[in-house]
Amino acid sequence: MNVIKLSVFLLVSTLLLMMAGCIDNPSNEAASESGNESETGTEAPEVEEGEEVVNIGYSGPLSGPAAYYGERTLNGLTMAVEEINDNGGFEVDGQTYKFNVVALDDKYLPNETAANAKRLLQENQTPIIFSPHSGGIKAMQVFNEKENFLIGAYTSEPDATEAGNELTVRIPPSYDGYLEPFTKYAMENHGEKLAALPTASQYGKDWTEALVPYWKEQGGEVVYNSSIDFSKDTDFFTLVTNALKEEPDVLFIGGPSEPTAKVAKQARELGFEGGFIVMDQAKLDEMKSVTGSYEDLEGSVGVTPLINSDYPGTAEFVEKYKEEHGQNPGSEAGYHYVAMYTFMEAMKAAGSVDDPEAIRAHMQEGLDALPEDKQVYTIEEIGENGGFTTNLRIAAVEDGGVVTINVE
Amino acid sequence: MDILTQQLFNGLTIGSVYSLVALGLTLVYGILHIPNFAHGALYMLGAYITLTLMLLWGVHYWIAMAVSVLVVGLLGVIMDRLVFHPLRNAPPIHDKIAAIGILLFLEAFAQLIWGADYRTMETPYGQVIDLFGMTATMQRVLINIGAIVVMILLFLFLKKTYIGSTIIAMAQNREGAHLVGINTNKVAMLTFMISGGLAAIAASLSAPINLVFPGMGHLVILKAFVIIILGGMGSVPGAILGGYILGFTESLGATYLSNDYKDIIAFLMLVVILSIKPKGLFSREGF
Repeated sequence: MNVIKLSVFLLVSTLLLMMAGCIDNPSNEAASESGNESETGTEAPEVEEGEEVVNIGYSGPLSGPAAYYGERTLNGLTMAVEEINDNGGFEVDGQTYKFNVVALDDKYLPNETAANAKRLLQENQTPIIFSPHSGGIKAMQVFNEKENFLIGAYTSEPDATEAGNELTVRIPPSYDGYLEPFTKYAMENHGEKLAALPTASQYGKDWTEALVPYWKEQGGEVVYNSSIDFSKDTDFFTLVTNALKEEPDVLFIGGPSEPTAKVAKQARELGFEGGFIVMDQAKLDEMKSVTGSYEDLEGSVGVTPLINSDYPGTAEFVEKYKEEHGQNPGSEAGYHYVAMYTFMEAMKAAGSVDDPEAIRAHMQEGLDALPEDKQVYTIEEIGENGGFTTNLRIAAVEDGGVVTINVE
Repeated sequence: MDILTQQLFNGLTIGSVYSLVALGLTLVYGILHIPNFAHGALYMLGAYITLTLMLLWGVHYWIAMAVSVLVVGLLGVIMDRLVFHPLRNAPPIHDKIAAIGILLFLEAFAQLIWGADYRTMETPYGQVIDLFGMTATMQRVLINIGAIVVMILLFLFLKKTYIGSTIIAMAQNREGAHLVGINTNKVAMLTFMISGGLAAIAASLSAPINLVFPGMGHLVILKAFVIIILGGMGSVPGAILGGYILGFTESLGATYLSNDYKDIIAFLMLVVILSIKPKGLFSREGF
């Protein structure tokens, strides 16, 4: 009996492993190698004699529903670090340094982010800690000035910097800049009736609270407003049916790209013919990989996908990322890459690798010193409150392709 | 009026998925009194296996689903033999902890193998059809029909076959069943097999309308627990009825009351039903 048991067990496990292989995500034109990347973060760099190591902290979702997002942010960071180290590190005050990324998983939970930050400080003395979600950033802002470390804040939440935290650098543009161009485009092209179906996260709610009043101010009408919880709802048909009942011209959707694309697709299935305003967390190119083509997304307006951008360093970065991870990079990888280089330049300018205040004070010089081929995004300046200012570019889907729209 | 029929259909679709998941959960509970938290992970694996077969070898959807039912069913059996069977004499809390452990293990396992990214399952049934003035896709119609067919088959199996009767006998009285010569170990394995198979069917049917990712089990498992408590722990008709009740409450509650409170409505109903019938809609007398 035991032999049978064992052989059945072995048979099934072999079968499982065989199936595992790598299944191609047909639309992503790439195998899923990204799954194993999270480990690279903790590998120490090769250090030659006389070189020192600067630890860079990272706390983000590396497991759970948001793991995919977390991995992509970390990929951008590690790519920059590996490049810097492979080129022999960098020099501050005659001393050569190399970076080492220490990545911890916080499962998207703010309390875990805070605990991770404390651990990173105690065990690794990290002068900078990155986090890609607004909840975790807020949790760290409670004590980052006291404990003296910089937050590399990847969130478009304007609150992250408006609160006046001295040691926070907000990496992507804040979303309030998108309100006007998105509204203008949607109203001109589709009409004035808006139905809002944002994601149920705090970020989604804040976005909606910013957009709805603005839309009304511009003479529009909001006919439906309710959020979708992507971690609880199996099917979106019910919600989308309700939203479409009032015959809106525009649907406001958002959240992670893939489920957001499902919402758009189901809206089309239910006969919706208007346009979409897509929140900045979702990227049009990633949404396309779910819907299959841009046809279902016709008339959408959202942020420009990185692969459709034309900053000086974009093409090279996209190429390299594809080679390493087998898929197109999203803006989260691109922004982390730029930010890491900027921090390095700022350290050079500050003449210190472990004084967060000095590094923060020299961020502008860091931005100015950034070589052109590293500018996956061209960041003009850092605001007084610590937010990077990137020239806003938005994109729309027209005639089955992405069109970039310049915003003054 | 249009909205009402459309929402009734939507409720039916989602209710079908809930019922199928709850059925597997209630069967295991009925026989072994184990709250199998890992059932959500089985659901997730079912979707992944179907998807893998379809993408890697281009296997047809239905065949892939059949293989998936078999593999996940066997996985259920292995779970029983390796974990729950050795724990049969342990205090009940051990089963619960073990089930949670399996859930976490399988989720991490899926992430390791398939990666954390969201995947889409394309089926040949994506086309939109007009059904008496309602909009639906073929896939949604299939979910509804598939769920009903599976329920009927399960009912016939339990009521009309000899093996089915042994499951019912064991649910009614474990010692009694043992005394009349039923091999309780075999019945337990069989139950896990059916339970895993049901999870795989539910996942394979519903995955095309959502996405496939390691955390997808969470979407249904908590609701499935609500359903079996609502329907009566271990009751088969209770799980079916409970699933549809929850599906309709969600769709109609979201339409006529408020979407933001639809979960509250569902849980409020649970409280009301349990205050009237503390043991659930069908207090268990076998099945």
